[in-house]
Amino acid sequence: MMRLTRLLGLGIALAAAFALASASSVRMTAHASPDSVLRLAWTARPERVEDCRAQSEEALAKLPPHMRQAVICEGTTASYHLIVRREGAVILDQIVRGGGLRHDRPLYVFHDVRVPAGESAISVRFDRVDATTAPAVAPPRTDTALSESGAPGIGIDPARRQREIEERTRQRGEAIPPSLAVDAALRFVPHEVILVTYDPERRALLTVTAPPR
Amino acid sequence: MRAIERQALRLLATADAVSNRLYESRFNPLYQSGTILIALYLTLLVTGLWLILFYRVAAPWESVAALTGNLWAGNWVRGLHRYASDAAVVATGVHAFRMFAQGRSWGARTLAWVSGGVLFLLLLLCGWTGYVMVWDTFGEQLAREIARMLDALPVLSEPSSRAFTGERAVPSGFFFITMFAHIGIPLGMGVVFWLHVKRLSRPAILPPRPLMYTVIGLLAAVAVVWPLAIAPKADPFTLPVVVPADVFFAFWIPFTRGLGGGTALTGLAAGALALLVLPIATARRGTAAPAPSFVDETLCTGCVQCSIDCPYGAIEMIARANRPAELVARVDPALCVSCGLCAGSCAPMGVGPAGRTGRDQIARVQAFLASTSRRPGEIVVISCDHGAGMHAPALAAAGAAVYPVDCAGSLHTSVIELLLRGGAGGVLVLACPPRDCWHREGPRWLVERVYHEREAELQARVDRARVRVAHVSAGERRLALAALRGFAAEVSRLEPPRVGRAKNVEPVCDRLEPAGRT
Repeated sequence: MMRLTRLLGLGIALAAAFALASASSVRMTAHASPDSVLRLAWTARPERVEDCRAQSEEALAKLPPHMRQAVICEGTTASYHLIVRREGAVILDQIVRGGGLRHDRPLYVFHDVRVPAGESAISVRFDRVDATTAPAVAPPRTDTALSESGAPGIGIDPARRQREIEERTRQRGEAIPPSLAVDAALRFVPHEVILVTYDPERRALLTVTAPPR
Repeated sequence: MRAIERQALRLLATADAVSNRLYESRFNPLYQSGTILIALYLTLLVTGLWLILFYRVAAPWESVAALTGNLWAGNWVRGLHRYASDAAVVATGVHAFRMFAQGRSWGARTLAWVSGGVLFLLLLLCGWTGYVMVWDTFGEQLAREIARMLDALPVLSEPSSRAFTGERAVPSGFFFITMFAHIGIPLGMGVVFWLHVKRLSRPAILPPRPLMYTVIGLLAAVAVVWPLAIAPKADPFTLPVVVPADVFFAFWIPFTRGLGGGTALTGLAAGALALLVLPIATARRGTAAPAPSFVDETLCTGCVQCSIDCPYGAIEMIARANRPAELVARVDPALCVSCGLCAGSCAPMGVGPAGRTGRDQIARVQAFLASTSRRPGEIVVISCDHGAGMHAPALAAAGAAVYPVDCAGSLHTSVIELLLRGGAGGVLVLACPPRDCWHREGPRWLVERVYHEREAELQARVDRARVRVAHVSAGERRLALAALRGFAAEVSRLEPPRVGRAKNVEPVCDRLEPAGRT
């Protein structure tokens, strides 16, 4: 009787171990819907919308040497209007700003939009808000004028001034273009994702689909 | 909360009784949930060390797939690693349920409960990082769900979920950090485990070897007989319809998936917090809270026995104020759970909870002997309230006189002697199974005091043939009655006891000289 009880106990323990192994790999439904997903995901540096002015010699003289800066630029980063249409109907409409409290961090776009499977005409527009009114040319003009004048400025090393000009030029070059767009007829396959993202080298939006299997 | 505890205790008692029947109390896995957890933790460490040798952060899925494809060097080790982690979650649940049902989650045990809750959360975190490391469809689902909740916090400049969009391959740095966390968390768990048992004297670390080898052996056997398969590789451009999920680590996903990230995170955080602050809800207050032990310094001889016997390290020996060369016991009320084991350890009866010191026990047994007319030669059953005390009506119906005690380990052996001198034919002490004692070491100290001359030992003049200690749990009524019948049969074959002065039995403690008296 004792042996029978022990065998029964062992059998129950074995069954519990198999039940545990079974529960370790149960089928969990992750995406029941047959829809596809249009994924919009990119990050980029927004343009600076700023007012630049060269500091006068008198203003520079009042500052300690380590705080002298030939050109002072004040402003903010641009906002962008993201609008996505499918077959002409708006499916996403959003204003996008740079990250952080002061919106001076890179902006990001990150949306997963469910789209029924099949062929669909997709239009994505990403335009800077106030594109026609924002002063976009002041910084290069100020920098160019200063470079051409050759005026050293009080306590500002010419090499440093050149570095500042190059830095501002680089930042302007890295900023996302004021207007991006992609229009395409896309074939949405069930349970697959089509990605729309920004290519910084081409400075354009592009679509990415799953590689063929 | 008490009602819930009582229901839980009933369920536990039934499960314990069934398990005792199948495995004996020595090898009952339900009694050993904590030590089994340690054994599983060590198994995870050993198998994990082997698996990490083959893991590649630059090709996570491929390296795990290669390991899974190797039946003898990798697959069963990976299987044992996974099943041991699942078993650890189950053992944690059993352990926590037991502590809750037995009211061992508050007061001095709050540190153990909270640290145990932290250990459980770390176990889950370790499991999640382990699955994410594989980077199959299930790991991807886990990573996305966790990232979705983290993105609700206003701490990141851009959502962490963007790492899985497909813009670029998931960087190997992500898998390196995950692997680092997966290895570092268990090391941290070792520190928390130290906190968990800090307030226990002589904590049991590992289960009995036959049980330990059986548990690990069964998991290994299942890992060999049922080889693990690896789920498809994570693909950011594919939405898997079904993923093979581990219920033990992904039980929360079906509940959170339909919620926003912030709501899901709040819900899970609230659940974790509720677990950690449970001691506030289960705490006994006012008259329901048992008073801690105290020391009568006029009686204490400084023998250190109570300090040794205390399962919670709540008694320390300090130098007497007026005679520094001598020691006296002192109870730390913050650590004392009022188990009363110290009362049973003290020959001069100078320590114990109020109302349960050795002298209080003497007074109580004298009242018991005087209260009703006792049948000469009857068996007196001293039953532990947490165990065989549940069977008092059945024992009384079987002809025994039942004398309940809070814990058999708190019983002063003088009570046994007094009962025999008061006319009992025999004294049967029904203690809880040693591994199920609510106060950890009660049955062990009782056996040592009755049979092996541990202070305060049962005096040599007491006829050992008329004393028996048996171990019975709350769900084992048949065993209790069988122990009674067997003992009664043995006692009936002995010569009838001489009936002593049942109503005027002298307390034996009067013969001892208290410290400081001449």
